[in-house]
Order: sequence, then structure tokens, then C-alpha cells
Amino acid sequence: MFRRLPFALTLLTLLAACGGQSAADETVAPITAQTAAITVTDQRNTTLTLNQPAERIVTIPIPAAALMMAVDGSAERLVGIHPSSAQAIEGEILGEIFPEARTIARDVVSEGFAPNVESILALGPDVVIQWGNRGSDLIEPLENVGLNVVGLYYGTQEDLETWITLFGNLIGKPERAARIIDWQRNSLAEIRMQAEMITDERPSILYFNRLRDEMRVAGSSTYNDFYIQLVGGVNPAAEITDFATVNAEQVLAWNPDIILIGNFDDATPDDVYQNPLWQDMRAVVNQRVYKVPLGGYRWDPPNQESPLLWRWLAVLAFPDVYLFDLRADIRANYQLLYDYTPTDAQIDQILHIDLNREAATYERFINR
Amino acid sequence: MSVLLTGEQRKPFSGSQTARWLLAGGLPLMVVAVGIAALGIGRYSVPPEQVYRILLATVLPIEPTWSETDARVVILLRGPRVILSMLVGGGLALSGAVLQGVFRNPLVGPQILGVSSGAAFGGALAILFGLGWVFLVGSALACGILALVIVYAMSLVDGRTPILMLVLAGVVTSAFFTALVSVLTYVADPYSRLPAIVFWLMGSLATATYPRVVPAALPVLIGGGLILLLRWRLNILSLGEEEAAALGVRVQPLRWLLLVAVAAIVAGAVAVSGVVGWVGLVVPHLARMWVGPDHRVLLPVTLLLGAAYLTIIDTLARSLTPAEIPLGILTALVGAPVFFVLLRRTRGRGWVDA
Repeated sequence: MFRRLPFALTLLTLLAACGGQSAADETVAPITAQTAAITVTDQRNTTLTLNQPAERIVTIPIPAAALMMAVDGSAERLVGIHPSSAQAIEGEILGEIFPEARTIARDVVSEGFAPNVESILALGPDVVIQWGNRGSDLIEPLENVGLNVVGLYYGTQEDLETWITLFGNLIGKPERAARIIDWQRNSLAEIRMQAEMITDERPSILYFNRLRDEMRVAGSSTYNDFYIQLVGGVNPAAEITDFATVNAEQVLAWNPDIILIGNFDDATPDDVYQNPLWQDMRAVVNQRVYKVPLGGYRWDPPNQESPLLWRWLAVLAFPDVYLFDLRADIRANYQLLYDYTPTDAQIDQILHIDLNREAATYERFINR
Repeated sequence: MSVLLTGEQRKPFSGSQTARWLLAGGLPLMVVAVGIAALGIGRYSVPPEQVYRILLATVLPIEPTWSETDARVVILLRGPRVILSMLVGGGLALSGAVLQGVFRNPLVGPQILGVSSGAAFGGALAILFGLGWVFLVGSALACGILALVIVYAMSLVDGRTPILMLVLAGVVTSAFFTALVSVLTYVADPYSRLPAIVFWLMGSLATATYPRVVPAALPVLIGGGLILLLRWRLNILSLGEEEAAALGVRVQPLRWLLLVAVAAIVAGAVAVSGVVGWVGLVVPHLARMWVGPDHRVLLPVTLLLGAAYLTIIDTLARSLTPAEIPLGILTALVGAPVFFVLLRRTRGRGWVDA
């Protein structure tokens, strides 16, 4: 810790010394009641101190933008987001909830997740959210110019809860963050409890991260594997660690009961139903191929709406065990996350009713 | 075979008449055997005897003793994949052998003309814009041919294209299109498009279907047929420009005819399978160590060896682990050490008489 003290001091002096436009803005802005300094420790174990809650935030990890809006209940603090985050906002429900989010700057990366330091500097952020475990090239260029960087680790439900807590602390809304985490934990406990009542055979559930140009599935130690097991399913791809590309023959050999199609390409259930090779596969015969919903963010990776995904999958896997009213759950929890009540048409859009209408059990999610 | 590889083989293939017949009959048979074996291997298990029945059933009226799915796996899934791996492997190997002869340089491979990178750019462009595979193949072919046109235009000096200018133009074109590919990966969306481009560039036959066999088959069959017809002229061409001209061969048109045929094959191969390296370099050398540098024998042997080689590699790629192994990685991982061992054992003698 002491090792970092001189560094932090240098950062502060640097900030003070080069404080351009943004620093000027801050001094002009009326000082609010929240003047207590904020200290957060990110997932790299780096501690940073802000004089006040962060007002200008740049997010580079793709799910972080939507998550920040949920924790804040607004898009106002975001001054720069990853172009791919912007893609999940435009034309999707988050853009309708927070229209101002559509105009946030998105020139914050040069390639992949490598930061575009100069344009980030020009945005004058109080803090930059960045991946913390994908190499120092993503973080050092930012810290070298004196920016405050919060490093995130990816993958588990615990990581997700840590992000929510971190974000809540950064913007001075720890209570809001705690409410979201409580909801996630309660949902988790509720599903775990109901899962114990399962006596039926456990269905094998295969998740496709990508399907069209390549067949990419989620193996063990992925978040997808976590929720497949959570609801009482079995991941046939668990013999693979992490994500991997497989061929149609391997999918056939696994013969999954349920197939989930993710939101990272444009694939639809018809891509599975119309594959001549897969005509006898259980998921095809029983019409249990589903496009994963996309709400405030893609539901497949860890995100603020993950409990809704758990419930969605639970109902599809065991329609007789889990009796959630998903549409009501969406309505209630969009209030919690965004202070917003979605319309029936919006819920239809979130649940991809157009693509999933004919699939088994989906009548449970269709508005009656 | 080990006798032939010990380095005693100095002259062009000069085995006895029997050995020639063995080669002429044995090698094609081996390729067919590899193909049938590949049809029987995979992650989904189909009993071997059923594989034969399923294959025979396509021509003979046999009562099915297998499930619909078994037949689909063998015919619809492995079938096009084995055919494609043979076409791509044979085509790339043949291209490498021709280029090594035309340029009289053992280090030359199909990427030297810039056609590979051109086709790679075309394919990546189609993926970036989210176009279907028909556009992908078309775009790869078009950009591959475009690369060759650029090379031709750049290397033209006083109506001729000296070999040095040709090599330099090829290197420049290749570098240019490689940079363009980098630009595409740079602007591609890291979540949706980039993984698809990277996967395709690494080389894979995982998406093989019968319709995709056509864009690979046409250039390989037409270009390959043309090359095989010209194989004795390639012997003269590989003597050197002046010598060939002195023997009455019109060097420029012949060279360009061969290069166009090679470009078509390479573009077709890249279009259906991405960039598969090493085949065009390793296989011609293996063949040369075996049968010597005479193109009349070398080219057909290279074609068949290439077909068998890539089919074996691709079968490994799709069945070793639940996850697909990218072809380009396996061809290099297997090809480089094998090549090195053989090179040491023969001390490069296949080239002594070239």
C-alpha cells in the first residue's frame, strides 16, 4: 500500500497541473452537499480517492455502461462509452428509457478495448472504468496521463456484485447499489430453494455464444454454465473450459434438450430448426430452441438484469417447478433498476417474442 | 518409402517400371482410403460398417440399417468437408509446387503473389459488412484476382515482367492487402464481427456444405487441369528464362498462364477455408524428396499428397477435442517439425538437380 502512495500523490499533482477544461468546469460548478471524499478499492486492489462522487465517467467494458445507468438510475454521468455498448442502447429498450444515452461519445477506444487516451482526456472524466485483467496495455496509458482508473474482473456472479458495489460507491449511491444486490441475492436464493424440489431428469442446456459464422459454445467456468446449473440443468459442453468453437457433429453428439442462442450475432432459432443435420436432435424435435432476451443489456453475460434471465431459463427448463410471472417481474424490477415501467410491446421486444413465439413453453411469456 | 527418403535419391524419379506403376496406382488409392477413413471418423460416432453401407447406398439400393442422423452426418456433414479438404489441400500444394518452379526458389509459397492476402481481404470485408457466404466467396475470389492484376501492372517493364520485379510486386501487394486486413480487424466490432473475421482468417473448414464445394472445385479443377497439362513445359521454364527462350518456349505467356491458374486456385481455396498456411510449402517439398524435381511426376504426386495431407489434418482438427482446432494452427504445428526432420534427413537433396 505504501508503495502506491507516492504514485497516487503524483497522480493528484498531475491532475492538478494539467487540469484543463474539465477541471475548470468543476470549479465553476456549485459545490453540492456531497463533499466527503470517496475511497474505492477496485478488483486489482488499487485504491483511489475522489474528492466527491464521480460526475463524469467513461466506461470501456461493454456491459459497464448499462450497469452504471442502472446503479445511477440515469445516463447523465456517462460521458464516454464503448461503441459496442452504444450498439446495445440504440434501437433497444435502454435507448427508450434514457434517450440522452444515445448521444454519449463513443470514441473512447482505438482498437478492441485499448483506450484512445487523447479523446478520453478531452472528455475530462473523473474516473475511467476499464478491464483490470486483460493486460497492462489497457490501463497503464490511462494512468500515465493521470486518469483515475477502476479495473474490473470479468466472469462470475461475485464479480458482478463487486461491480455494482464499486459503481454505487463511485457515484455516492451505495444504498441504490445495495438494493440491486439484495434483489439479485434474494432471487438467487429463491431459485436455489425451488431447484431443490426438482425430481425430474435434468435437461441438458447448450448455450451458443455465436452460431452463424462459427459455432461457439460456453463450457465450464463461464457465467452461462453457472446459470444453467443454477436452474437445475446440465451443460453438455462442460467438458470444455471457457468458450470454444465446435462443429455441428459435436452438437449432434451432445444432443441437448434445450438450445439457447445468444445475442452476440444475428442468429435465430430458425438457424437451428432449418439445419438438415439437426432434425432429430431433442431440442429441435421438442421445439426447445430459444433466442436469449435482450433488455437493458444482453441477458446472456452477467448484467444488472441477470435475475430475470435466471427466471426466464428456470421456467423454460422446468415449467412445472418454477411458476414465475416473468412479465410482472420485468415490470417490477425495471422500476427498481431504471424507475421505468416498460409497455407490453417493449416487454415483447425484450423477450424476443417474435422469434420465440412458437417455441415450447413460450406461451407462458406471451401477454394474455 | 524410407529407402526413397534416405538421400540416395539423387536423380529425378527413376525407379523401376514397377515402382512407377505402384506410384501411379497406389497414391490415388491411398487418397481414396484416407477419404473413406475420414468419413468414418468424428465426434458423433457412426459404426464403421454403417459408414460403408451409407456410402454404398448412395449408388446401390440398400435397405437402411442406420438412422437418418447417421446418414446425414456422413453424407451432409463429413462429405463436403472431406471433399473440400481434398480440393483445398491438393490445390494449395499444387500451387506451391508450380510457384517454386516458376520462381526457381524453394521458399516460395502461394502467399508470394499477394493472392492469399487479397482473397483474405475480400473475405474479411464481406464478414465485416455481415454479408452471407455467397458474397464472402465472391468477394474473396474477386479480391484475389485483383491482387494478381495489381502484381502484373506493377511488374510490367517494357512489355515484359522480369522475375525480380514479379517477386517484388508480389511482396508489395501482399503487404498492402495484409495492412488492409489489419484495418478491417481494427474497425470491426470486437463483440460481433471481429471474432468471426479472426476465426475465418485462422483457417477452417467447419462450415463446409455442398454448395460451398463449387467455388473451390471450379478453380482447382480447371486451374489444376491446366497446370497438369503444362507440367512438362514447367520443366523447361524452371531451367531459367534465357534457357527456356532458347529452347523455343514463349516464356512470358506461359508464365502468366501458370500464375493465373495458381491465383484462381489460391483465391478459391481462401474463399472457402480462410488462410491455411504451410500446405503449399511443405507438401511440394515432401513430394520432391520422394520423387525428385521432375515436374511431370512431381506435380501429380504433389496434388494427391496435398489432398491426403489436408484431409488427415482436418480430420484431426475436427475430432481430436470437442472444440474445433483452427486448421492454420495444426498445419503449422504438424507441418513445421515434420518438414524440419525430413529436411535434415535428406539434407535438401531433392533440390540438387533442380
